[in-house]
Amino acid sequence: MNKNDVMIETVDLQKYFKDLHVLKGINTKVTRSEVVAVMGPSGSGKSTFLRCLNRMEEPTSGHIYVEGIDIMAPYIDINKVRTEIGMVFQSFNLFPHLNALENIKLAPMHVRKISDKEATDRGMQLLNKVGLSDKALAFPEQLSGGQQQRVAIARALAMQPQIMFFDEPTSALDPEMIGEVLDVMRTMAKEGMTMIVVSHEMGFIREAADRILFMADGVIVEEGNPDEIFKNPQHARTQDFLSKIL
Amino acid sequence: MTSKNEIRDDQTHRFVRTHPMWFKVIRKPAFVGATFLVLVLYAFLLPAREAADPTVLYVSISFFLLLILAWSGNVLSDRNQSEAAKMIVALLLIGVLGWLFYNYSGAQWDKLADFFFNWEKLSGGWKVLFRGLGVTLLLALISAVGTITIGLAVAILRQFKSGTLNIFLKIYVDIFRSVPMIVVMVVLFFAMPYAGISLGSIVTTIVALSIGYGAYAAESFRAGIESVHSGQIEAARSLGLSRWQSIRMIVLPQAIPVVIPPLTGNLVAMLKETAVASVVAAPELLKRARELYTSRTNPTPLIAAAIIYLIVLVPLVRIVNMLEKRVKLR
Repeated sequence: MNKNDVMIETVDLQKYFKDLHVLKGINTKVTRSEVVAVMGPSGSGKSTFLRCLNRMEEPTSGHIYVEGIDIMAPYIDINKVRTEIGMVFQSFNLFPHLNALENIKLAPMHVRKISDKEATDRGMQLLNKVGLSDKALAFPEQLSGGQQQRVAIARALAMQPQIMFFDEPTSALDPEMIGEVLDVMRTMAKEGMTMIVVSHEMGFIREAADRILFMADGVIVEEGNPDEIFKNPQHARTQDFLSKIL
Repeated sequence: MTSKNEIRDDQTHRFVRTHPMWFKVIRKPAFVGATFLVLVLYAFLLPAREAADPTVLYVSISFFLLLILAWSGNVLSDRNQSEAAKMIVALLLIGVLGWLFYNYSGAQWDKLADFFFNWEKLSGGWKVLFRGLGVTLLLALISAVGTITIGLAVAILRQFKSGTLNIFLKIYVDIFRSVPMIVVMVVLFFAMPYAGISLGSIVTTIVALSIGYGAYAAESFRAGIESVHSGQIEAARSLGLSRWQSIRMIVLPQAIPVVIPPLTGNLVAMLKETAVASVVAAPELLKRARELYTSRTNPTPLIAAAIIYLIVLVPLVRIVNMLEKRVKLR
């Protein structure tokens, strides 16, 4: 595969919640193996943008191309698109009635239709990868926030997605647990996973992200590589925001 | 140490509960005892039912009632009284009310046992009643299956958030939560035959109970389903599961434990409501009791039926209560 393959492209993506204009025309491209960080003040539309990309929120207008395919077209089965897009949520959203391994196995078995044995093997492999192979039979309520989030990442990876979305994956975590989740994400980035990460973890972004999209008021006001943007932000909104969180 | 205590005592008065004089008086044991003696005296002086002018009788009894209620209220609302004392006063109050009823209601008590507890007249009737109970339980069981099926189906269909469908589902739920069950049954049984549909009393009862209580069950299921956090569906959908797969594999397993107590409550209420089927001549317990009442010209079968309902339903009501507590503990 060409390193410059476009994984996801949006063209004039717009989203209204009733009268509230949340996304005012987003145009961007994410190429294969790229790690893109989305930053911006609260209410800038970054989560909505991410959730529109796999149509968890239905965009009001515009186009989204996943590997060149227009996923807004009426003949598209969005469930099939979502099998290629892993998503990790701020609040983990593990299934509380299933243990860690069952959480991971569910979608591969019922969507990908792989065998129980194959799903178990894959699940154990992934739990090992996120450092939780000893927690396979633990239920979510028995796990710490950081452990839950790592299981959630393994659950998303079990579908062998082409791209991973992270919606503020560390915002609900106690400080001492943020590192273990970011470590897993760093490893994924090194392995060439395409990632879009809504996050304000500066250290992680500086180290792992190829590009920052800075959003404010429903538009991308500035984009570029992390070093440039952190050192020399051009737009007033970016400067203002960075001065507050640095 | 002493100085410290003094300061504290000095300060304490700011927070001490104060009562008006009259309140302190009525809560004194001497007052309670004395007023009790007065009431006993009053009770002995109450005129006999035949002896007095009706007006005098009613006024004196009403006044006596008022005083005894005030007296018991004074004891029962006193937080310094022990629970044992309150229980004695409560039983005493019930005893006095019973005594008043016995003396002044005008019932012919000597003949009462013959009316209400005439077991000879009921002889052989027990078998009929128990067969009726069997029909009641069978009706309830079949209707329970119908209720759960309809309730679950309606609740799940509502999750698909289709505007048009939702309007009709809401109309269904609202209609059957508003119209009394007896009306549903009577309409089905007596009116529908004119439209060419005659279902017979058993089928009418099952249909009416199923669709009627299905509406309540649908609301219970909906509440349970909506108690599952929306992030659960999002996570499931983001993995590529279809809406139906998400509901079946993620939402329902979490919703069912929440739904069981209110649903069991619905079903117990439905079991009670089977008695209404007697108006459409379904041969269930109450219908059987009424038949016996007519044929034996004695209300004992009705009392027996009431006792049977009580024996069957009280344990079920307790079970519902326990289930509710268990869910709250989780």
